[in-house]
Amino acid sequence: MIEVKNVTKKYGNFVAVDNISFTVKDGEVVGFLGPNGAGKSTTMNMITGFIEPTGGTIIVNGFDVQKKGIKAKKQIGYMPEGVPLYTELTVKEFVTYMAELKRVKKKERKEKVQKALTETGLKDVEKKLIRNLSRGYKQRVSLAGALVGDPEVIILDEPTVGLDPKQITEIRKLIKDLGKNHTVILSSHILSEVSQICERVIIINKGKLIAIDTPENLEKKTDEKNVILLTVEDSKDNMLKLKKDIPEMLDCKLIKDNEDGTKQYMIESNANVDLRKQLFDILPKKEITIFELKKAEKSLEDAFITLIDKNTINEDKKQEKAPEKEKSKKKDKEEKKSKENKEKKGGKK
Amino acid sequence: MWAVLKKEFKTYFLSPIGYVFIGLFLAMFSILFYITTIYQGMTTFQYVFYYSAIYTVVFIIPLLTMRMFAEERKNGTEQLLITSPRSMIGIVLGKFFAAVLVIVITEILTLIYLGILCYFKVPDLATVAVSMFGFLLLSMVYISFGMLVSSLTENQIIAAIVTIAAFVLTWLAPNLSLSFTSISLVEQFYPFATGVFPIAETINLLSMTVMFVVITMIVMKRRKLVK
Repeated sequence: MIEVKNVTKKYGNFVAVDNISFTVKDGEVVGFLGPNGAGKSTTMNMITGFIEPTGGTIIVNGFDVQKKGIKAKKQIGYMPEGVPLYTELTVKEFVTYMAELKRVKKKERKEKVQKALTETGLKDVEKKLIRNLSRGYKQRVSLAGALVGDPEVIILDEPTVGLDPKQITEIRKLIKDLGKNHTVILSSHILSEVSQICERVIIINKGKLIAIDTPENLEKKTDEKNVILLTVEDSKDNMLKLKKDIPEMLDCKLIKDNEDGTKQYMIESNANVDLRKQLFDILPKKEITIFELKKAEKSLEDAFITLIDKNTINEDKKQEKAPEKEKSKKKDKEEKKSKENKEKKGGKK
Repeated sequence: MWAVLKKEFKTYFLSPIGYVFIGLFLAMFSILFYITTIYQGMTTFQYVFYYSAIYTVVFIIPLLTMRMFAEERKNGTEQLLITSPRSMIGIVLGKFFAAVLVIVITEILTLIYLGILCYFKVPDLATVAVSMFGFLLLSMVYISFGMLVSSLTENQIIAAIVTIAAFVLTWLAPNLSLSFTSISLVEQFYPFATGVFPIAETINLLSMTVMFVVITMIVMKRRKLVK
């Protein structure tokens, strides 16, 4: 069981993790989701005792990570981001060293090392130098290092990055199996992965916790409303007055002001109402040109994006910062494409 | 501590570093041995250590120390160490003694030269033993300081240069002003070569070692606050 209570990490004035609290029960597989720089790795590093939080407490199986660090660390198997390894050692030497560091008893060591090697499918390469292995194998070595000695809690920071599809399915299966008798936390930005493996999902953005729920519930949450994403050219600012003409519309929010003069709105209605037809009828009359209109699909991905976007907008309003450039660039590209094709539907998603 | 010591010691000899260190040391030692004993027809074997301490160890000790923490930090493997259920004291001591062990092996290898000398005339073995002991103490100070520098940077080159520069400064300091004599490590070592067992210098060198090792532990413990 992992209890994270009001944990904050600040670097000078920059708040990397802002007052996060959550609990992971025994035997649960929990996924950490968030865009780059959301604070996933920082949070994991704090749970494993690599970084000291500025405030708050973290308790792993009853041991406070800050006060009883060694006992807490004994409960944890950690696979850090970026797969750091001692490349001058062979696979077996590395895993044995990790077992020694983890205080696995001498009698059991050989057996436990063999077990970890077998579980991660490294038996064939155990005598090779880690330096000479491919990325996928290195990833597995790192995973074997985390698993050796059967720690009760396993923390994996982006375990499937850089693997080929076959390896990804293998690692996923392995994590699923581990979840049967271990507590697992993993981070990822691949949503399908998280919804497949994890029983619960924790979404964080800009250091803040946005949602904790099962993947199904998160999908349902966005199900409650029908969401339409609409990109328009609206020189007379008629969009926000639309509510009068379409009474079924619950909400109309400006999400983004694109550089090319178009604006993206998010329109919400009840789940049983589809506004698309009405929008097509009414908008031209209001001298609004539709560039793109799409119904947000009800996947975890959208739940994620909606939640993150909402959060980002709120944050941006607060801090009066420019919206994330990367995202807007991507969407700009999409919109330019759809402009060229003069299609009213488009976009990857 | 043992796990780290074992692995670090093995790593010295999995990479060429251990062999390069011992090779360079023995090459210089051979030259100094020839100049100070055979060429002059003397049996003052202890002075070979004295001159090695000045002309060799100062320059090659960073081979052992520069990668200690700098490399771990650069490769991110320090995450594995720090998140393992090991105390920082054990990790630092493990690395420190692994390097000391290399020095001990080097010293044992120098007994070959002693054997050659004994063929001509047996030197005063007690004096030799004391100077070898002093040499070990001096190397420990060098190692602990090099380790401290390595824990402060992730660039091995910087670690090496700073380490050498600091030793050369302490070595040359007495030439600038005699009041700097007490910070000269080489001066601390000199009494060992004269055949007396200098208790004050022994304590001095040991306490300097302890000081640097402890500061390294503090630096590494603070890492998780600043990271």
